[in-house]
Amino acid sequence: MRIVSPLNETAPPAFAAAPRLRTLEGKTVALLDISKPGGSIFLDRIEHRLRTEFRVAQVIREMKPTFAKPAPPEVIERIRGADAVIEALAD
Amino acid sequence: MIAILQTDCPTCRLIAPYLNKLADGPAPVTAISQDGEDATREFVRQMEIRFPVERDPEFELSRHFEVVTVPTLYVLDDQNRIVRKEPGFDKDTLNEVAALVGQAPIAGPYDGAPASKPGCTSRHLEVSTDDAAAAPLDMHSTRGHAASVADLADGEDAIEYCYRAFGDALPVVPPTVERVDAMVRAADRDPREVIARIPPCYGEATVEKIAANAVMAGCRPEMMRVLIPLMRAVSDERFNAHGVQATTHFAAPLILVNGPVRQELGFHSRQNVFSNVARANSTLGRALQLILLNLGGARPTTIDMSALGNPGKFSYCIAENEEENPWEPLHAEQGFTRDQSTITLFAAEPPHGVSEHNARTARGVLKAITYALATVWSYRNCTGFEAMVVLCPEHVRTIHRDGFSKRDVREFLFANTGIPLRCYQDGDSGEGAAQRSLYTEIVIDGEPCYRKFRTPESIKIVVAGGTAGKFSAVLGSWSVGPRGSQMVTYPI
Repeated sequence: MRIVSPLNETAPPAFAAAPRLRTLEGKTVALLDISKPGGSIFLDRIEHRLRTEFRVAQVIREMKPTFAKPAPPEVIERIRGADAVIEALAD
Repeated sequence: MIAILQTDCPTCRLIAPYLNKLADGPAPVTAISQDGEDATREFVRQMEIRFPVERDPEFELSRHFEVVTVPTLYVLDDQNRIVRKEPGFDKDTLNEVAALVGQAPIAGPYDGAPASKPGCTSRHLEVSTDDAAAAPLDMHSTRGHAASVADLADGEDAIEYCYRAFGDALPVVPPTVERVDAMVRAADRDPREVIARIPPCYGEATVEKIAANAVMAGCRPEMMRVLIPLMRAVSDERFNAHGVQATTHFAAPLILVNGPVRQELGFHSRQNVFSNVARANSTLGRALQLILLNLGGARPTTIDMSALGNPGKFSYCIAENEEENPWEPLHAEQGFTRDQSTITLFAAEPPHGVSEHNARTARGVLKAITYALATVWSYRNCTGFEAMVVLCPEHVRTIHRDGFSKRDVREFLFANTGIPLRCYQDGDSGEGAAQRSLYTEIVIDGEPCYRKFRTPESIKIVVAGGTAGKFSAVLGSWSVGPRGSQMVTYPI
């Protein structure tokens, strides 16, 4: 019996993971709020710690217009130069 | 025995100790790793592998064995012919293989491992993630890839094979080449034509892939004429299947069928309309769900992490009972003529029943429905969602007798559904309370309330169900509007 695969056989886009940062000192870190309730409170605290304890050079704050859809290209473009991104996912 | 493995596949890690036990027996075991040298060496060390592991850097062996998922265990006879091909992990199968080579059972029922677990897609069907020069995902081509075909060994149980290789919890009709061909012929299209890309992983819904899933769901070939527009609807950006499939909420795409196709293909719109009452409803709903899983990639164990899920994720498809509907049917409200067949998608919660057997007036029936509408999403949360009201024929007769048009029904429900201000006395705590400055204050039966819905059009009205029993239903939506999911209607 010959069975046709019903599964997705589309090749996923290839990408290499960014190398792990050895230090946050002097780096640019983007904080992405997906616009779920509570995300800004969490990221405020993270930003405070990044600046005071880890001496990051710059923090970029960005927000998705809705958590229900992927981030629009302009949001991704604005955080593209960051060395690291921290995303606040849920309520 | 030959086992094809990946080093980061949880099912491959699960099966590894059992392969060690098989290797302790009389038949030699060799594994083929689809991964790099370092990853393979680490896998052998971590899993304390006691049998030889070869690598397959160009996937020549994987292609030769036509492996679809890993792990797959092949048992070869002394002339190197495949006598068994076993994808995934299954204790009964492992014990059968052990018996075949003269060993005692190797997998006990209470050894801590699950009885069975489906595997992962074979690496040769993916692009290697450490090859930065690999081609990017093609989102625009209208011609897709041919589906791969697996040859089952004689005597292999095709239904069990489909469970292990494709991983859906409910048994499926095996998508044999012959059945898929019949489905593709009914579509009268190039089997490799890409009809849509299914969110959230954007797998290519080629005619052939749609057909394979439709076969698995039990569809008849003529259902392809509904499935093609259904694919366009489900990948419509307004419907936002990306979010619907990935939310932790209850939402599942409800298919509503209108127009002459109901009679032509046997869609049922009367008693038990939400149940297992007709092959057309059940198999179309199931086909959509299988396509969302197999091509969209939102499996209920990984990307679809719904907290409680929805029984509609087995199948969720109703037809409107236009014959018992004295008003315009749903598709006519969307601008289609009555004799145009359509499918509509609405991201819906399961139905919430409303019993009202004693009210003799439109107002009495509709008041009962407003109290169910008031609980949609969460009682104090207003305006961020919609609802579908499925009116049963007996309620419709009472409402229509009092001279209500469909618009009157919608406006009555809109005007009379609200949450009393006293529910917000404990300040801003509780879902929806913090946004109350944005809500509209109205008075319902003398009581100050916040209006529950944003507009009358937030309430969708459909007639369905049997002519006995005064039971209607309210179906809450998911997040709506341009930031959520919008109802879409497509012609068939």
